[in-house]
Amino acid sequence: MNIGIIYFWLLAAMSVVGALATVSARNPIRGAMGLLLMILCVAGLFLALHAEFLAIIQLIVYAGAIVVLFLFVIMLLGPSATAPRDHRGQVSRAVAGTLFAACAAGAAYAVARGGHMLALRRPDPGFGGIDAIGRTLFSDGLVPFEVSSALLMVAVVGAVAVARGKQGEHTAGTGAHPLSRAELAESKPFHDAQPGGLGEGQ
Amino acid sequence: MIPVQHYLYLSALLFTIGGVGFLVRRNVLVALMSIEVMLNAVNISLVAFNRMRPENHGGQMFAFFLIAAEAAEVAVGLAIVLSLFRIKRTVRSDEADLLKN
Amino acid sequence: MGLLESLFPAENFSLIAFILGMPLLGALVNGVWGRRLGKPAVRLMALSAVGASFLAAVVAFVALQHRVEVEGHEHVKLYWTAWQWMHANGGRSVTNVPIDVRFSIDALSGVMMLVVTGVGFLIHLYSTAYMAEDKAFWRFFAYLNLFIFSMLVLILGDNLPVLFIGWEGVGLCSYLLIGFWYDVGANTAAGKKAFIANRVGDFGLLCAMFLLVHYAGALDWTGIQSGANVLADNPAEAYRIHVWPIGGGTYQGIFAFLQPAHPVTISAATAVGLALLLGCTGKSAQIPLYVWLPDAMAGPTPVSALIHAATMVTAGVYLICRLSFVFVLSPFVMATVAVIGVSTALFAATIALVQNDIKKVLAYSTVSQLGFMFLGVGVGAFTSGFFHVFTHAFFKACLFLGAGSVIHAMHARIHDDVQAQDIRNMGGLKKYMPITYWTFLAATCAIAGLPLLSGFFSKDAILFEAFVNHSVNPFAQKLADRHSGAWAPPAMLGPSLYVAGVVAATMTAFYMFRLFFLTFHGDFRGWVIGRAPLAASRAGHGDLEDTADGEEAHDEGKGTHEHEHGADEHGGDHGHHEENLKDPGRAPHESPWQMTVPLIVLAAFSVFAGVLNPAPLTKKLALEHWLAPVFESAIKGTVIAREGAEHLELPLMLGGIGAFVVGSGIAYWMYIAQKGAPAARLAEQAPGLHRLLLDKWRIDELYEATVLSAVDALAETAAAFDQSFVDGILAKLTALVVAAFGTILRTLQNGVVHFYAAVMVVGLAAMGWFFVTPHPDATVTPEGNGDYTLVAGPGIGYGYRWDGDGDGKPDKDVFDGTQQIKLHLEPGKSIVIRLEVMNAFGLTNVRAIPVSRPSAPTMLEVGQN
Repeated sequence: MNIGIIYFWLLAAMSVVGALATVSARNPIRGAMGLLLMILCVAGLFLALHAEFLAIIQLIVYAGAIVVLFLFVIMLLGPSATAPRDHRGQVSRAVAGTLFAACAAGAAYAVARGGHMLALRRPDPGFGGIDAIGRTLFSDGLVPFEVSSALLMVAVVGAVAVARGKQGEHTAGTGAHPLSRAELAESKPFHDAQPGGLGEGQ
Repeated sequence: MIPVQHYLYLSALLFTIGGVGFLVRRNVLVALMSIEVMLNAVNISLVAFNRMRPENHGGQMFAFFLIAAEAAEVAVGLAIVLSLFRIKRTVRSDEADLLKN
Repeated sequence: MGLLESLFPAENFSLIAFILGMPLLGALVNGVWGRRLGKPAVRLMALSAVGASFLAAVVAFVALQHRVEVEGHEHVKLYWTAWQWMHANGGRSVTNVPIDVRFSIDALSGVMMLVVTGVGFLIHLYSTAYMAEDKAFWRFFAYLNLFIFSMLVLILGDNLPVLFIGWEGVGLCSYLLIGFWYDVGANTAAGKKAFIANRVGDFGLLCAMFLLVHYAGALDWTGIQSGANVLADNPAEAYRIHVWPIGGGTYQGIFAFLQPAHPVTISAATAVGLALLLGCTGKSAQIPLYVWLPDAMAGPTPVSALIHAATMVTAGVYLICRLSFVFVLSPFVMATVAVIGVSTALFAATIALVQNDIKKVLAYSTVSQLGFMFLGVGVGAFTSGFFHVFTHAFFKACLFLGAGSVIHAMHARIHDDVQAQDIRNMGGLKKYMPITYWTFLAATCAIAGLPLLSGFFSKDAILFEAFVNHSVNPFAQKLADRHSGAWAPPAMLGPSLYVAGVVAATMTAFYMFRLFFLTFHGDFRGWVIGRAPLAASRAGHGDLEDTADGEEAHDEGKGTHEHEHGADEHGGDHGHHEENLKDPGRAPHESPWQMTVPLIVLAAFSVFAGVLNPAPLTKKLALEHWLAPVFESAIKGTVIAREGAEHLELPLMLGGIGAFVVGSGIAYWMYIAQKGAPAARLAEQAPGLHRLLLDKWRIDELYEATVLSAVDALAETAAAFDQSFVDGILAKLTALVVAAFGTILRTLQNGVVHFYAAVMVVGLAAMGWFFVTPHPDATVTPEGNGDYTLVAGPGIGYGYRWDGDGDGKPDKDVFDGTQQIKLHLEPGKSIVIRLEVMNAFGLTNVRAIPVSRPSAPTMLEVGQN
């Protein structure tokens, strides 16, 4: 029983707990927190797998940006983010969930049977470090790298375009520049203009 | 040490949790977060395989790009959620059935 | 002449292109731009097109004549090929029959070409004055030029398909021109009737073409002639067509009672001849398809003159002359042609006896004269029959144009078409229209057969040869031993044809003179001739004709005058009221020079054309000599004159003279001497018969009740079937099924993304299931010599276990990676191999693969050994 094993099982258990919290929490803030926990645990697992660079990236991007983004949106939506409990579509949900779980179970079973094929090997020193990753990234993975940067730009533009909405409408979404008071007074948002925040009946 | 299968089982479990969560929960925010969970599970699996065969960094690079793509997806997805909310004042995907029939 | 020869060699006589091209150009220009060009330009274009074509035809004829002199008695033709069209699959011996757009001029088509272009030109000239007031002037000339073009294509075509194009083209132009004033429903109905009756005949022509391609292997004249022997009553059974039982064989089983004692077969020549005859009866208005010609009088009179008298209706006779070498091979067909011809002649003549419309009388006269032509060609007198075509073109065109002149005059006051053409409203026109009178008289004498006029010679030749000729089968001896034998016409056929022909000729003379006397002699019955009251005339007419001495101002001879009513015979947009015919009006006037000059020319030809073939008088028969190369070799050995025929020539001529004398004499007595009283008495005494003849034997009603009703019933049945079954069940039912499916499937699209995701998961599970179950499969490859290799299909993580010896138990206990096994079989043995597969999930599946070897050695093995 060495520290590695304990480390793994601890982090694995916590990541599962986090995932469960994500999918089952009614309040999305709770869900975001669960997501954050899972991400942190996964970052730790990356460390155990000699993928230091990736672990750091995981922390920075996932925990630092994506979860924050989620939190921003939840904050914008306000109380409406918590949807009332609804029991529509039970059958399709149940069927889909069961089937999905069955498929995943089948895949796991296949892994179990093929166990003799999976043996760990000792990695080179520097495996998974910034130096090695950097070299690979800018030699073998150059094209995907550039393409992904283009992808990110497209995503930014798309997000701005989608979230902006109609012109002149009172938006508080990401990317819209603040409207002057005169424009605010002129514009007709939902016929019940309220400065800041969307949604009525909050 | 920890055999690779354990990581794979963990990955499968997380993937299942995420997938079932996506299919069952109708709140689009929770659905998006479930997708995050699924993608993380895939990342675990990839890195584990790379650890199994450390000749090159293929798995880690793949995971790297997955993170990038997934970030883009979240950005756009949240923008869509905002638009949906603006139109329909709800975050339930059940009610986003404008394309019905 | 040398220049002509060098410019237009006989094999590539491109002057034909000019002859054909000019009327086509005229039709095109007048048709497309005629409305904008204005009447003088349209007139110039049309006349110059036909005139140029005529001149070119004359030049071509001269060239032909020169070649005939050079080459002697051979059958000379001048060819021109426009382009290569297509190839047809022949029948028995020839597999590739080329069909080109090819034209040729030989003796027969040369004469016909001159007639068509010459008479066509005269009628064009006539029409420029007759149709001068019509607002669709340009359309008329476009159609008329198109007709000339089509007729020339028909005549000059070197093979049946090109002739057929011309055939259809003239049918089309006939339809267009009959229904020229299409705002009157009766005209369009008449046009349709003409076209449809022609189509029924065209079916026969098409069948004949198919038979010719199959049996004779050619469709051009020279090709058919050389292959014609095949068509005849050849002793070879293979060339006979089985009529009953249809197609040969025997009727068995429940149809056994239909089996005849002797199978009925006909020779191919008979089939071809009868089919062609059907086509000719359609085009040339014989029984049973003549019904369109009287109705076709609804068209303008120049149309009736050109198409329904001189040229189009003779196309049938032309075709029979063209394919004379086919017709003579079957005596049955010849007899049929002759009998149909003479019965039509008699039948139409009886109808013409009592008709009161001037154009209807001439129409039935045309049908009757066509019957004479058919009689002529049916007894083998091809030259005489064609000569009658030639002379008939002149005198019938002259008669029609004269009638048009009369109608033109009558129309000045009587605007109703039917009344304007009724001869009971005419009379005494001799003093008002002298040129029309004399030319009409000349043409009437010609058609009635006044001796020494053209009609006399042609008709007499036909009657003579009808008496003396009979057709024989060229292979009569060879068929003497066959039990069916060759059909030979009865001995009395010739004389009975002669007698019937004489009777018809008598009736012809009678009704033509009746027409002549009623129209031109006696007192004028149309309206009162006198000074028109000024009020009525000013109200009714324009300001052109108000002078009191308008009669003198009106030239009864040459000189055009603008008559406000002009010659528009349509019932449409006058704007004039029907005047009260009790009021006095101006006298009928003679026609302008454009109308009288053609009359004079045609009358001169009617009188003097007989000099070309004055049969009994001399032996120097120009036309016979000219046409000899065309007909002689064709009819050699098949048309035999009885013994002592030369002595019968003059006695039989007396029959023709007698017909003229009796017919015209009775007409004179009845209508001049007795002033029509006996006719009225006869009509009273036999009202039923009179009514029947006046109603043209009610044949139209008979057709209506039988054929047309049957076709209508069939059409209605088909329509009902279409609406109920095809529309209702097939169309609506399938639509319903599709819509139902759509409704069911639409429930899957509820717009909720999560639902779609759930459906995707179902799909994922199915795919997963497919991947999870192992699929054993193996391909069997024979290596030869009884060795077979079985290769198993690959799969993810598959392990294989074979049972290679067919004992039902696997060879090994473990699943390993052996993907192929070999085995050997003796001939005729088979074995069942079982393949078990286990995949990465530990699931197994089994498949049985039978392998067998055929008992006899296969080609592969023989070759390998």
